[in-house]
Amino acid sequence: MTVEVLRPAAITPRAGLVRRFRRSVLSDPLALTGLIVIGLLVVLAVLGPWIAPYPDQGEGQSNVPARMLAPSLEHPFGTDGLGRDMLSRVIFGARPALAVSLLVVGLAILIGVPLGALAGYRRGRLDAVIMRITDLFLAFPPLLLAMAIVAALGPGLEHAALALAISWWPWYARLARGTALSLRERAFVEAARSMGVGDLAILRRHVVPNSLAPILVQATIDIGTVILAAGSLAFLGLGASPPAPDWGLMVADGRTFILDQWWLSAFPGLAIFVAVLAFNLVGDLLLDLLDPRGTR
Amino acid sequence: MSAPLLAVSDLAVRFVTRDGNTTGLDGVSLEVGQGEIVGLVGETGCGKTLTGLSILGLLPRSAQVARGSIRLEGRELLGLLDGELRRIRGSSVGMVFQNPASAFNPVFRLGTQMRMALAAHERLPKAEAEARIRETLAEVGLPEADRVLRAYPHQLSGGMLQRAMIAEALLCRPRLLIADEPTTALDVTIEAQILRLIRRLQETRGFSVLFITHDLGVVRAVSDRVVVLYAGRVAESATTATLFEEPEHPYTRGLIAAVPHAAARRKEALASIPGTVPADVGSVEGCAFAPRCPIAVDRCHLEQALVRDVGSGHLAACHLAGRGAIL
Repeated sequence: MTVEVLRPAAITPRAGLVRRFRRSVLSDPLALTGLIVIGLLVVLAVLGPWIAPYPDQGEGQSNVPARMLAPSLEHPFGTDGLGRDMLSRVIFGARPALAVSLLVVGLAILIGVPLGALAGYRRGRLDAVIMRITDLFLAFPPLLLAMAIVAALGPGLEHAALALAISWWPWYARLARGTALSLRERAFVEAARSMGVGDLAILRRHVVPNSLAPILVQATIDIGTVILAAGSLAFLGLGASPPAPDWGLMVADGRTFILDQWWLSAFPGLAIFVAVLAFNLVGDLLLDLLDPRGTR
Repeated sequence: MSAPLLAVSDLAVRFVTRDGNTTGLDGVSLEVGQGEIVGLVGETGCGKTLTGLSILGLLPRSAQVARGSIRLEGRELLGLLDGELRRIRGSSVGMVFQNPASAFNPVFRLGTQMRMALAAHERLPKAEAEARIRETLAEVGLPEADRVLRAYPHQLSGGMLQRAMIAEALLCRPRLLIADEPTTALDVTIEAQILRLIRRLQETRGFSVLFITHDLGVVRAVSDRVVVLYAGRVAESATTATLFEEPEHPYTRGLIAAVPHAAARRKEALASIPGTVPADVGSVEGCAFAPRCPIAVDRCHLEQALVRDVGSGHLAACHLAGRGAIL
């Protein structure tokens, strides 16, 4: 007979986070796969120039004689219209993809979380003003808003990142406001107030640190989503410009040849797909880990 | 006795909601003398905590002070700006809360939190701040400062946390400690230790305590004087001995009779006071306790009983008080 073991995890949510992490990862092959893929992406992003078989082509050096070669042992992902090795191009694409999404999510958190926490903690008129501003942003589909902003700023990777951050922060404001609303009623916040700690210090030391768990989960999932969104902007010609090794751009470049030279779009598209999936899987894992009483 | 450290007089607080106003406190007056422990007792919802929060200027957004005055060392607290109040909180007035487990931030070590509490009021050199914290911890019976300071709240027991909470409240050497049900969440043996600790600290440090509790046994053990609140008004106020030996207000007598120890001796079912506290004392004509009062006469239902002296500082708000014969 098997006896159900009382999981200490459920009783002391913070004790043994590392142990629980290890156990959940091992018992969840999907999350493990996600973690491995993210690890691989990071390695590619950092060591890409040393790993890629044709580093100069990865950066954009053309090699016209070898153009449009189908996948082979020499070029596992084939070559593009300028004869560049697609494998090298895709590997080089990892760095800008990760950099942009980290930048976007980081900026969104930096703008959204303080505003949301402030709104939720102070309530009243300030809350109403901040939340109506977020409503204003949320009224547009995020990609559409980002496109409009890039159109106004002019295309370019930096502008695309800025535009995505501007259309992304309201989600973090909402999230932070929600947790701040419940935190402000907690005894330790009242205790801090009774000790004469100022509002800003309470926000910084009590509200924001205690809101980090859901924000971390959201951020992990969003990194994947932003890779996709940045790829979409590039695909539409609003993101990185050639010859930058950008996955979205590569998909766009290959779309006219999709029937005959399928590898031009397929491999960078696959890279986007795998990256987004991996961040989603790990986001799910974090959700389970940080909220042991959650519904799953 | 010299001028009181804390003088609350005629304090009225009302809650403003969309459905209209309700009265939270209706003319509460009380004093806490230098070095005195005053117990503030009453049932849930009678305004004990509201009184404590008013003193600190921490009333919820929906509550407004309608009238009255709160003086700390002669200085009027009502109407002070936020910044001025903040300087008083924690430095002149410390507060200890009911549930020590939730009164600490779960994501920081205790040491971090105590340093933050001290830094909110005093800019001390690091070594000095550290020494002050260790000293205070030793005073509250936590000599293993290293272990306590390195611990997260969930790693300590309720009793240890409450000691740490008291230490935190005392870091800046306040003149007045407001203890809001500090032992309610603890079991009885720990409760006794904490009560003894508060008494001892009060004697060695000489601060005053406003001890808020619903437990008459606790009040009897710690306080010099007791103020009984009922439905946002003061029902009775006397020295602890007088209040327990010669209670004048029928509500006080009801409370004392309802204490399990006192009732058990009579081999009766536990005594209780029938009925509940009126939701809004502002709408009550006459004595707020009259509907539940075993000895109420017609006058009680028509005319509010004002607090009056029924003998050497013994205050009671009852038309019939001071006429032992009638009872």
